[in-house]
Amino acid sequence: MAIALIDSNNFYAACEQSIDPSTHGRPLVVLSNNDSCIIARNAAARQLGISMGQAYFKIRHKLKTLDVEIRSSNYALYGDMSQRLMNLIKANCEEVEVYSIDEAFVKVQRPSNHDLKFWAQQLRELIYQNLSLPIAIGIGSTKSQAKLANYIAKTMSDYAGIFDLEVAVNQDDWLEKIAIENVWGVGKKLAYWCRSQGVNNVKQFRDMPKNLLKTKFGITGIRLQHELKGKTCLELSTKPIAKKEICVSRSFSHPITNIKDLRQAIAIHTIRASQKLRSQKLQANTITIFTRTSHYTSTFYSQSASQHLNIASNDTQLLLSASLNLTKQIFHSNRLLMKAGVIMQNLLSEDSLQLNLFSKYSAEHKLRQECLMKVIDRLNKRYGQNTINWAICGANKDWEMCRKHLSASATTRFKEIPIVIA
Amino acid sequence: MLFVQGVSPSQLERSKKVFPLMQEHIEAGFPSPADDYIDIGIDLNEELIRHPSSTFFLRVKGQSMSNAGILDGDLLIVDRSLDPKPGRIVVAIIDGSFTLKKLTYQKGIPYLEAEHPNYPSIDLRHHDNVQIWGVAIYSIHSLGHISN
Repeated sequence: MAIALIDSNNFYAACEQSIDPSTHGRPLVVLSNNDSCIIARNAAARQLGISMGQAYFKIRHKLKTLDVEIRSSNYALYGDMSQRLMNLIKANCEEVEVYSIDEAFVKVQRPSNHDLKFWAQQLRELIYQNLSLPIAIGIGSTKSQAKLANYIAKTMSDYAGIFDLEVAVNQDDWLEKIAIENVWGVGKKLAYWCRSQGVNNVKQFRDMPKNLLKTKFGITGIRLQHELKGKTCLELSTKPIAKKEICVSRSFSHPITNIKDLRQAIAIHTIRASQKLRSQKLQANTITIFTRTSHYTSTFYSQSASQHLNIASNDTQLLLSASLNLTKQIFHSNRLLMKAGVIMQNLLSEDSLQLNLFSKYSAEHKLRQECLMKVIDRLNKRYGQNTINWAICGANKDWEMCRKHLSASATTRFKEIPIVIA
Repeated sequence: MLFVQGVSPSQLERSKKVFPLMQEHIEAGFPSPADDYIDIGIDLNEELIRHPSSTFFLRVKGQSMSNAGILDGDLLIVDRSLDPKPGRIVVAIIDGSFTLKKLTYQKGIPYLEAEHPNYPSIDLRHHDNVQIWGVAIYSIHSLGHISN
């Protein structure tokens, strides 16, 4: 058995280009929420020396003179493309752990000649043909090795996006080439300490005395070393991990200063969070709301408030009244609020629910609410988000996130599908 | 090694999500004889889309494929997992836009052929940067009785 890490290069930028041929061959960058900074670049934009994390307003003019295509982040598109990608991977591999929006670990059987290159090439071509997503595949005998191999596949151009560490002729030479900071699971602290011990690359880390590592980083350090030697410590987790909490939060396009706007924002986030609870068949026991100003102001303000519910619930109406009651506790009239959010906590599965004898809601009321939520969810799913909404959400949202360069939701909204010229 | 194109669990899930409304709350009294015969109904997604992960929708603009029955305004279903064999109607990327034509070979030379006398065929030798993006499998034409 071998472990492969399949990972899409410049995923957000690639998704944008996949459904918009006018961007082909041109530099493209994707901006974070509120169009604030650069969070993805395609290869052409990289070559122009545009770096990650730069504030958009600072380099707006430069991007314009370089004729760089700008995109606001379009999570509807990336989410859909990710699901397609994962489904293609699942259809072609035995066991799959979806690790992030654009990465998956998979288990594959090594053929009798031990060569997985052909398999990887075919999978790579298939994904490119079906989704126009360029991917890198790293193969090893453990997850940590696969991650390293993927790093080599991606950064060292000779390997055309595929690298198999397990069958590499001179594995040690490769490991020597990778700096300790680039190892998955090695944080800044561990890397700093390693360097102080004269351990600068992966090979040195793998061969360093076990006891020394253990005194400093305990079992996690030892595990990592084992993994790099090819002994499995991290199993593939193919089942989704149960969620501990659900958070919905957004920054505002411009600071808000009145409670009406804050209530509206909190309401919208609560509605979304309740919907998420229901779609995952969960109920929350505690609801927390928070708001804060920008981190960069001298009068930084941040406040949160929570309420414990008598009975766990995923009923929007109930959660909404709880969060709106809390809103005045977090509002501050003399502060420019930049962000607000809602966190659902102490989550329980819908089936593990206990009724409270002293609840003011009857079982019949609860059942009616459940039906109502089901109908609302179904309508919003079929006819689009916000088809049915609570009045408090209002029609106008002055504070709503600014996404001036948003592309079409070409794969998820019927009215926004791309045009083909006949 | 065998590769399966675009088969996905979501295809199954999708059809499961279509619930006949009458399953719940059946009134007491005379039981409906139709109850045992409830089907989930015809799901066009399932019928028309074999590979959901690699199927995309596009909107047709222009008349060049009208003799093939693809008209301006039609909804085009494109399956990117299929091989662009000669004779198939394909979506190609030319000069930065999606273009719908029939892929043909004449004396070994690849062409993108229009299905309308007013539109010329495109000789692929004259274009460096042509990419066949997907194969069109259905074109859905509205008869105009329903307005949005």
